[in-house]
Amino acid sequence: MGPAVTLVKDSPPAARKPRSAVSATTGRRPGRRRENLAGYLFMSPWIAGFLLLTAGPMAASLYFAFTDYNLFNTPKWVGFDNFTKMFHDPRWQKSVEVTAKYVVIGTPLKLLLALGVAMLLAQSRRGQAFYRAAFYAPSLIGASVSVGFVWRSLFSDGAIVDRTQSVFGWHVGGWVGNADWVLYCLVALTVWQFGAPMVIFLAGLKQVPRELYEAAEMDGAGPLRRFWNITLPMISPVLFFNVLLETIHSFQIFGSAYVVSNGTCGPADATLVYTCYLYEQGFKNAQMGFAAAMAWMLLLAVALVTAVLFWSQKKWVHYEEGAR
Amino acid sequence: MSAATTEPTLATRAEQPLPSRRRTGSLGWHLGALLILAVILYPVVWVIGASFKPSKDIINSLQLVPSHPILSNFKGLADGIADISIWTFFQNSLFYAVGAVVGVLISCSLTAYAFARIRFAGRNLLFSLMIGTLLLPYHVLLIPQYVMFQKLGWINTYTPLLIGKYLATEAFFVFLMVQFMRNLPRELDEAARLDGCGHFRIYWSIVLPLCRPALITSAIFTFINAWNDFMGPLIYLNEPGKYTVSLGLMMFRDSDGVAANYGGMIAMSLVALLPVLLFFLAFQRYLIDGMATSGLKG
Amino acid sequence: MGTGRNVERRTILKAAGASAAAVGLAATAGCGGSGAGDGTVTIRYSWWGAEERAQKINKTIALFEKKYPKIKVKTDFQTYASFWEKFQTQAAGGNPPDVFQNAVTFLRKYDKRGILLDLKSQVEAGNLSLDHFRAGVTKVGEVDGKQLGVPVGSNTMALVIDKKVFEKAGVEPHAGWTWDDYFKALKTIHDRTKVAGDTGYFSIMYLYDLYLRQNGKAFYTDDGLGFDKADLTEWWTDGYNRVKAGIVTDPKVVAQDFPKSSLSAGHGASEFTWDNFTVRYSAEGDSTYGLAPIPTMDGKHTGQYLASLMLSASARTAHPKEVAQFIDFMVHDPEVGKIMGYDRGILASTEQYSAYRPTDAVNKEIAQYEDDTAKAGVLGTITPHPSGADTIEAAFLRIGGDLGQGKTKVADAVKQFFTESEAAFQA
Repeated sequence: MGPAVTLVKDSPPAARKPRSAVSATTGRRPGRRRENLAGYLFMSPWIAGFLLLTAGPMAASLYFAFTDYNLFNTPKWVGFDNFTKMFHDPRWQKSVEVTAKYVVIGTPLKLLLALGVAMLLAQSRRGQAFYRAAFYAPSLIGASVSVGFVWRSLFSDGAIVDRTQSVFGWHVGGWVGNADWVLYCLVALTVWQFGAPMVIFLAGLKQVPRELYEAAEMDGAGPLRRFWNITLPMISPVLFFNVLLETIHSFQIFGSAYVVSNGTCGPADATLVYTCYLYEQGFKNAQMGFAAAMAWMLLLAVALVTAVLFWSQKKWVHYEEGAR
Repeated sequence: MSAATTEPTLATRAEQPLPSRRRTGSLGWHLGALLILAVILYPVVWVIGASFKPSKDIINSLQLVPSHPILSNFKGLADGIADISIWTFFQNSLFYAVGAVVGVLISCSLTAYAFARIRFAGRNLLFSLMIGTLLLPYHVLLIPQYVMFQKLGWINTYTPLLIGKYLATEAFFVFLMVQFMRNLPRELDEAARLDGCGHFRIYWSIVLPLCRPALITSAIFTFINAWNDFMGPLIYLNEPGKYTVSLGLMMFRDSDGVAANYGGMIAMSLVALLPVLLFFLAFQRYLIDGMATSGLKG
Repeated sequence: MGTGRNVERRTILKAAGASAAAVGLAATAGCGGSGAGDGTVTIRYSWWGAEERAQKINKTIALFEKKYPKIKVKTDFQTYASFWEKFQTQAAGGNPPDVFQNAVTFLRKYDKRGILLDLKSQVEAGNLSLDHFRAGVTKVGEVDGKQLGVPVGSNTMALVIDKKVFEKAGVEPHAGWTWDDYFKALKTIHDRTKVAGDTGYFSIMYLYDLYLRQNGKAFYTDDGLGFDKADLTEWWTDGYNRVKAGIVTDPKVVAQDFPKSSLSAGHGASEFTWDNFTVRYSAEGDSTYGLAPIPTMDGKHTGQYLASLMLSASARTAHPKEVAQFIDFMVHDPEVGKIMGYDRGILASTEQYSAYRPTDAVNKEIAQYEDDTAKAGVLGTITPHPSGADTIEAAFLRIGGDLGQGKTKVADAVKQFFTESEAAFQA
């Protein structure tokens, strides 16, 4: 059986299992047609959902992307106008820049912390379950509006972060009002939620056969060598999974930016993440055509990143022999 | 990632820590873990302390435990906002969350059963499509879905928020359940089939009961996601009387004079977090093991 | 735990049943005007505001329903920004509220889209009276020959000051003071008290409008901007320099204080805003706040006009008569005036104006301010805003803020503002 990532790849692994004795030999197995019928019957909610809520809207949004549509008019075909406007729009550029910064800084920091803490926790049995649970908690509450408020408070002028920073002679004042700093407040919020990838890393680490370490130790390999030569390759499928999910996830940040900035995505557009601008264009200004075009650019970006990651995994993700 | 680790019970999987090679590191280990713990839990402890402080002290006082704790922040909550009781928001959130849980459990388990246990034409293609939707940014669908729901007159109802849950669009949970179901011993349903059971009987009487851990994990995640959901209610709900806790919080923050009643806002933030925290404390094993499994078993 | 579990199960079942029903059957559209068998009509009334207003409005609705037992009023509200977001999407979906709060910025926008009911027909039918209004206020709701809104209260731009800080600095505002006087005063305040004099005047659209009017222009013409890039460059350059000099509050601080005003947070000594908003500062802040005259160019003309919060009706309402009766009641009934007070501006109709006499200091001062302004003879007529003005107001505020943070150069900011304005007019 393949590791985690196979599932994002192709077929349900069950398909590879040998046909069951019953279905292969007895004549009483339900006919192929009945199996098909049953399959589609069971699948019918999903199929309806896929057609009505995913495929249909995707097609519609592709169409809207090429129209001038403000909710009040009938969509008017404008060709690539929305895309041209978008590329020349300084605020769109700004939103790309802000989002890219957020993804590029936030995701690696979060994953590094997750891996580091997972390795720390993996070293001991005692208290592990407790720490694991405690570190995981922020991932659950991080998305709530409450935490957005708390974050805003903690990063205010004169609050804990500001004071701690000032102790080191680095006075910034409140981060939330400062266009140069406020994005890092959001980065801190996502890094704080390192628990989810950590749990996955931890599960991966547990599956590394300990004989490998013992053998390596006997060969005189130091901790760094062992990490590089054993741990990293062995957990690379899990690492790949985490990188993929966290990256895609952080492209879509909305709630925390909206709440921490009090719905302004400011100051000075400093937290104007991509989806904030999409929301503003679509739901505040009713530029639905433009917003749909923006959404498709986001889809392309995510698809590109996904493709690059999948392509690159050949070079660095190690699957167990026989897995692929 | 060997087959040996794929027992069907998520929550009871044995812990297998790496060998702790050096005893001397134990103290340092705990110190390090506690240090991280302190930083991680600081915001949670802070909000609890702050909710008992007068508004003026909340930002500027660094005391975690207020020297003169007050209850007025919570008492203020009882009045609600603009004739809407805080309880209304909680009921709305509960309705949304429970409705979502029911939908996800039914629709995702049906779909998962088909993927895991029925061999039908086109299964592989559909499975790839389903996995593909996991990676699809939601925003591509947002605008047309909105337009569609608006044309159907569903704005300001919970239908747009819930319908997807009943139509198995939560691919993550379908996937989680598929993973789980296909590790159940096949012999079970083969025996049942020999007894003349159809797929629905097998699904209902054999597979579902055995899938309890996966169902519980999905249910809790769905509940918490719905409870925390912000963008959905923000877009679809118009009437304050229909607001969920997330929107109620925003409304509380925005209303005039709340700038003066900072304490009330912090107190409400805490109250809004409580259900999630309690759920977490009660079910953390399911959540964490479910999470761990999602990344592992292939 | 026993009972708790039961409750939980019942809630779960209820939720499950209800949501299944919602999914299975098409939910009702909840269109505003629905008539019951006994001739009872329900109208939907939406407005923006917050808690205090909600309580007052609920009381006035109770009065209305008592007088008109056959009309039921369903009400909902939002904050200003989300109100207009939601309104837009509801209106586009053909389901705007039957009657709603409105402001001058939105009249042409929604008239253009056919959303607003011209109330003239209802006036002619005798369901709504435009008589007995204080001089000139009904003009605010009159655009392009249509009566698109009926004012409930009037307000005018004013300068709100922190009295204690002004006193401490020994500065006293006076009628007819000039911009030079004003900025000198801000400098004195900053020098003597270390508090910035103003919280960010240069990104307030309505204030710039007054300044332009003092110079014989206006922010808007009928279909565009009434000023050019050079005008705005000058206005914003001065503004930016004053931030740098510390006499205008650092926008970082303003962003941090938000949604609290920096004036009430003690980070600024004065702020331009609508006179009826003064109440807010006393609720938020610790100091004493008062109203001061708008600075002028020539020692006389402030460029001020009476603006207004209005009630408008949807062109799609199924019950225009009842809606008109509702508006009529809300703007003329003296009891309603007593309940609402100056919450939405100085009461617009003479019936309500004379029914309510403010007793608290803040509201007295607001009344006094509008009285003085009227007597000074500085009030002009409002320029109706073209469609898109709402987006432009937001852009003016946002880009002004960017500028203050030092994130854009003035030239770029001006260019950006003109580009966005053009797009907004076209939308």
